[in-house]
Amino acid sequence: MVVGLAAAQDRPVFRVKVDMVVLSFTITDNKGKYVNGLKPRDLKVLEDGISQKIATFAEGNKPPVQLAEDGSMKPITLSSAGMVDGRSDAFVGTNVFVLFDTSNYMYRGFVYAEDAIADFIRGLDRADSVAVYTFSRNLSRAAPLTKERTDAIFGLRKAVAGDDAALYNALLLTLRDAAHIPGRKVVIVFSNGPDNASMVAPDDVRAVAEDEGIPIYVISTNEVNKDPISSSVFKRISTRTGGRSYFAKTWQKQVEAFESIREDLGNSYTVTYYPQPNPNEGFRKIDVQVASDVGKKYRVQCRPGYRPRGGF
Amino acid sequence: MIRLSLVLGTLYAMAAGAVAQDLSAEAWQLESKGEALQARERLQKAAEASPNDAGVLRAYAEFLDRHRDPAAREIYTRLEQALARSGASNQERAAVARRQAILDLLAGDREAAVRHVEAYRTAGGNGLALPQSAAPDAAKPNFIEIPGPLRSFARMAALSPDLKPDDLLPALARNVVTNGYQAANSNEALEQTEYLKLVVRYLSQARELERLATQDKNIRIETCESNETGDLLRVLGYRMRGGCGSDVVLETVNATRAFLTIDSGFPLAELEQALRTNRPFVLDYHRTRVPILYNADYWLSAKEKTSGEFIDAFISDPSLCRLYLGMSKLDPQTAKALREEIPAARLKVYAHVLDFFGAMFQISDGKALVPGGARTEKTWAEMAGVPPEKGAAFFERLISRDDGWMASYFDALARINGPVKDYLTEPERMKRFYAAIRGRVTSPGPARPVFRSNTDMLLLTTRLRLDANGKPHLPGSIDVWKNLFANHPHGKYDAKLTRSAANWKDADDVLEALFGLCRKAVENEPLKIFMALSDVERNRTKPLEVATVDRLAREYRQLSAQYPLFSEAPAVSDATIIAFLDTVHAINQIHDAGLRADAAGTLQALVGLWQIFLRQETISQADSDGALAEILAPLAKVQGARDLFDGVRAGVRVLLKATHSPENVSPQDRMIDLLAGTGTSDGSEAHQTVVEDMIRVFESQRLVSLATLFELADNLESVARGEKLNTALAGKLAARISEIQLPRSALTTLEKNSLSFGYWTERHIEAQRKLNLRAAIEKAANEPSKLKELRGSLAPFLRDTLVGLNYIHYAPPGAQVLHTNPLFVRSHDFIGIQGAQQTWKHTELFGTGWPANAGGRLVGSLASLPYALAEAEQNFLIPSREQALIWGDLVPQMILTAVIPRWWSVTPVQLHWVGMHMAYADTLLAESALSAERRKQMIAVLDKYAPPARLKKLDSLLTAGDVRGAAENIVPSEMYLAADELAAKDQESPIAGDIRKLAAQAPDAVSARSISRICGSPKPTLANSYQPELLNLRTFPTLMGYSSRILAESWESNLLYYAALADEVHVRPAQLNVLIPAWTQQTVERIFATHLEDWPALLRSLRLVGDDVRQKARKQLMADN
Repeated sequence: MVVGLAAAQDRPVFRVKVDMVVLSFTITDNKGKYVNGLKPRDLKVLEDGISQKIATFAEGNKPPVQLAEDGSMKPITLSSAGMVDGRSDAFVGTNVFVLFDTSNYMYRGFVYAEDAIADFIRGLDRADSVAVYTFSRNLSRAAPLTKERTDAIFGLRKAVAGDDAALYNALLLTLRDAAHIPGRKVVIVFSNGPDNASMVAPDDVRAVAEDEGIPIYVISTNEVNKDPISSSVFKRISTRTGGRSYFAKTWQKQVEAFESIREDLGNSYTVTYYPQPNPNEGFRKIDVQVASDVGKKYRVQCRPGYRPRGGF
Repeated sequence: MIRLSLVLGTLYAMAAGAVAQDLSAEAWQLESKGEALQARERLQKAAEASPNDAGVLRAYAEFLDRHRDPAAREIYTRLEQALARSGASNQERAAVARRQAILDLLAGDREAAVRHVEAYRTAGGNGLALPQSAAPDAAKPNFIEIPGPLRSFARMAALSPDLKPDDLLPALARNVVTNGYQAANSNEALEQTEYLKLVVRYLSQARELERLATQDKNIRIETCESNETGDLLRVLGYRMRGGCGSDVVLETVNATRAFLTIDSGFPLAELEQALRTNRPFVLDYHRTRVPILYNADYWLSAKEKTSGEFIDAFISDPSLCRLYLGMSKLDPQTAKALREEIPAARLKVYAHVLDFFGAMFQISDGKALVPGGARTEKTWAEMAGVPPEKGAAFFERLISRDDGWMASYFDALARINGPVKDYLTEPERMKRFYAAIRGRVTSPGPARPVFRSNTDMLLLTTRLRLDANGKPHLPGSIDVWKNLFANHPHGKYDAKLTRSAANWKDADDVLEALFGLCRKAVENEPLKIFMALSDVERNRTKPLEVATVDRLAREYRQLSAQYPLFSEAPAVSDATIIAFLDTVHAINQIHDAGLRADAAGTLQALVGLWQIFLRQETISQADSDGALAEILAPLAKVQGARDLFDGVRAGVRVLLKATHSPENVSPQDRMIDLLAGTGTSDGSEAHQTVVEDMIRVFESQRLVSLATLFELADNLESVARGEKLNTALAGKLAARISEIQLPRSALTTLEKNSLSFGYWTERHIEAQRKLNLRAAIEKAANEPSKLKELRGSLAPFLRDTLVGLNYIHYAPPGAQVLHTNPLFVRSHDFIGIQGAQQTWKHTELFGTGWPANAGGRLVGSLASLPYALAEAEQNFLIPSREQALIWGDLVPQMILTAVIPRWWSVTPVQLHWVGMHMAYADTLLAESALSAERRKQMIAVLDKYAPPARLKKLDSLLTAGDVRGAAENIVPSEMYLAADELAAKDQESPIAGDIRKLAAQAPDAVSARSISRICGSPKPTLANSYQPELLNLRTFPTLMGYSSRILAESWESNLLYYAALADEVHVRPAQLNVLIPAWTQQTVERIFATHLEDWPALLRSLRLVGDDVRQKARKQLMADN
């Protein structure tokens, strides 16, 4: 933790930077295949060009390890006091927040999308937790974060078709909830796109996801192409946060997308680090390099950076 | 010896009595100081130490009773035993038994109440009797049946699951009327909306499912492979993927059916789970029995032909639904009379009028009760053509006359009370005003649209004031109104009124014109002027000068949004009001639009701060005029950015001086403290929390502090004198500028073109981003005049900071928009859409739901900033239950009520006053069940606030001894008013005695005015003011042009309820500054309303939050013990 004085204030306002950065990323080779089995020593994390010291490291759904000063690794052990939300396994697996659009724009595909989401939930790795949120004009927490697939699907099947769509409001609220959860997390949006009721802009929401280190995946259908603004926004917010967007012909044909996300989750690396001193209070650019990748043939997919968090 | 022991005994009793009295007095004193928790502890310990001391037990029981603590019952029981043991007098024992019976009824323990009433009688008490049965209504209701479970039907028909059985059909009828039908494209016929089509399809699916049910009305699937599984899945629109066992997955095969399955909440996941585990699946599929008014035959008699079940016939006929809705609003006696005398088919023709305007109809002993009573009966007979003595026939004529205008007039007059009602129902006057309303052509009627279109009439009758001479208050003079109608700058309102205005002589002539315009479809601007100016004058000791009224009336169209400033500041002089108008015009003349926006924005921000400080009494009324005049003076002469900066800086100095700020205080810190609600921090956690929340928002918006800006300006002045630039200060500003993001641009030309507003805000932000102070200083090197001008470049920053301070004061709970969009304050558009001249108009929300833009932003002046911010924030609240939605037009008003008032100066005595009123109102309700006399008094008081149907229901519940049922039909504001009116004369209730004691002890603190200030809500629409106050009105219905907004403003229960709750759980008043926003958020998130007038849903939610708070507080108390 770093405690400092806010620049523009007169009252001594203490801005506490909760600055452990969680960074999830995937690495693929020039044929698009995941590169697995890398060790912390194989990776170089740079923030505004400043090299960072990795604190913890995890690959896929394997338990994370802690890195000592000498570079040795040991499993993370949590004392009972270190349990988060009563869960000793908070850092194992991914916390998946499903955000399901139940607005009028989804009317025709509502039931198919719901089946697709149920399939997606069933296919998640056992180590993952899942929450199901739905939205139209307002957000609804249909199922809180759980490892029980049945509970999540019970919540999903209670969804009610709504009216207006406030996608970005709902996405923001989901990110705010996810931010309170320790460990790795992703938000997966199932939506056809249009938004006619949000108060916040997609890019402001994207900035929150970037800062919190939460990748956004968007699963949609070709319906979204009727609204080119939405499809372009989807692509932008997912790419910029380290996620992806998928547009299948119909909701029934999302198998490939699910597989891809599951592979992303299962093949991703998650590292944490405490940033080295950096005078930049604005956007900090993150760069992950693979030491052995001399010819730069690997592609690293991760969020481009973040803004340090302010507060009391 | 015997004598000695008697003497000792008496001495002991006297000593014990004195101890108890001391204890009671001590507890009372502690309560008055806000140490109720300590008082409770002290009493509890004393009661434990002296378990047989009746005085101590009484003190403890009465304390708990005053705080509505359920433990009071137990302590009264112990007191009862102690009295029995000590051989206390009958009088003492009767008083305790009476109190016990009351608390039993409130707790719903009828058995104990019977016992205690008996004990009361045995001890010689009289006048109380508990009715034999708790059944509320002797008449057995009739039922209809709906296929399938209620839960599914309610989901499909958008009915709240919390509705009482009796309210189900009226709520369904309302949904069918408002959402079930729409005009067909090709002709005038109505066609079903998607909502109703789904309900119809659901009923059909439910019947199919019914057929699959076994004899015991259960849908039963024994195994995955059974034939029944296939049949059920077919009806549901699903099929199995994968073989039976753990691999089975249900997937959609028929989207239409599957949609109904999911939308109606069929337990598909449970079915799937049963199939996967090969366990039986059983679903109770009994039909739903729903109570119906009268019987199905009565309603079907209004239809020419019917087929299918009642429910099908019902939802297929919107007029029938409307008749049902209208009849459900009548009290049973009136409804019976109408039903017996008028065939349903005939009533159905005027169902729309009955629905909107029938709620105040009353027939008693066969006679219609009319507004104005006996003296107006003849006039009503003349107007309607049938005398009120004819009861039902009178009302039939009333609803059929003039397309419903006469019924709407009746309704408007019946809703009001007091001298204004007496004035308006003077027979000749009543007739004259109705003639003005009616005019020559009565179509379209006020009940034709979806909302009542007699809004203006209701507002006029409700808000009209009489002067001390008994005449209506007329702002200015009659000449002002004659001129307004004859020579209005924006054209004539009405040709006939323009002609007749020349002959007007008194206020009635003006009222007649205002009533006449109520029927016009166009906006009734004169009425709005009349009400706005009446509100400006409402609290003034001296009326405005005629010239001022005239000018305000003429400039209404452009500047009316600003008039609430003057309503809130009764000490502002005519000269300052005129100076304000002149300053506005001077700013409008600034040619450079950017500078004009900055000038308008900063003026409004400064005046907004002045208004906040005045409301919070950190600027006194006496200082208010001088301060405003001083703020305005330099801004009326702005020529350039430097003038603006200097003028605004002077304005900040004026505000600091008027709030008695210490010398050399940081303007930024002082402003934040003042905005938090108190000039001097009380060091409490609550104050720290409020201040921190404000600073967080300020930081999120990347605003520059006032101190930095002023120090920089001073430094620039020094640089002009040849001194060095303070690089640290310049660096601070540069750092902040670097944090200002680019406004998000639209993606395509098409989108850009769609966004015709926002140009000037983008330029405003861009100009700030481009500012490089050091480069500018270097450029202006050696030219002192240019260096001095440089501080003008700080003016846009100063505007944003001051506007931002207004925003943070009104930031709603959560403030998601302000924390997420760092440009929200900077994006405030003071210019607006080209040609719309929005600079001085109400604040409006623009740009929601447009993925490519920079998010929503506020446009217009800062006049209605609190409402606009609340509106922007409402959809970030998360309903606690699926399908519930945030109530669009009601929630912003609830947020306002939690955000605008501050409770730093509220005293424990004031909270206790409200708390005791609520406790006493409980007593009154319980006593009403035990005494016909008390019931009569209670109903007479409530008659001023509740409609006849609710009164009759209350009466019948109380008559049957159902106190808890009655409590669910009375709102906290009504409870407070009833207690306030009846406490003065009640010599029996100990709580009434305590209320009188408190009134004598702190008359100012508990005066009606003080309580109105601390428990009232802002009413920008009803009272043209954001100053919190209680108006004690009936709850309004939804109205054309306002939807639920006026209903929300007339709902005055929230703060009264929270104040009583705080007293009950011993919360210190300062904590309310943090708790009330949080409680409000919880209340909003728990509302599950079915329609836009569903205030009972609000009441339910309020009580749920209260229960939660009580439960947590009592748990904490037990843990502490």
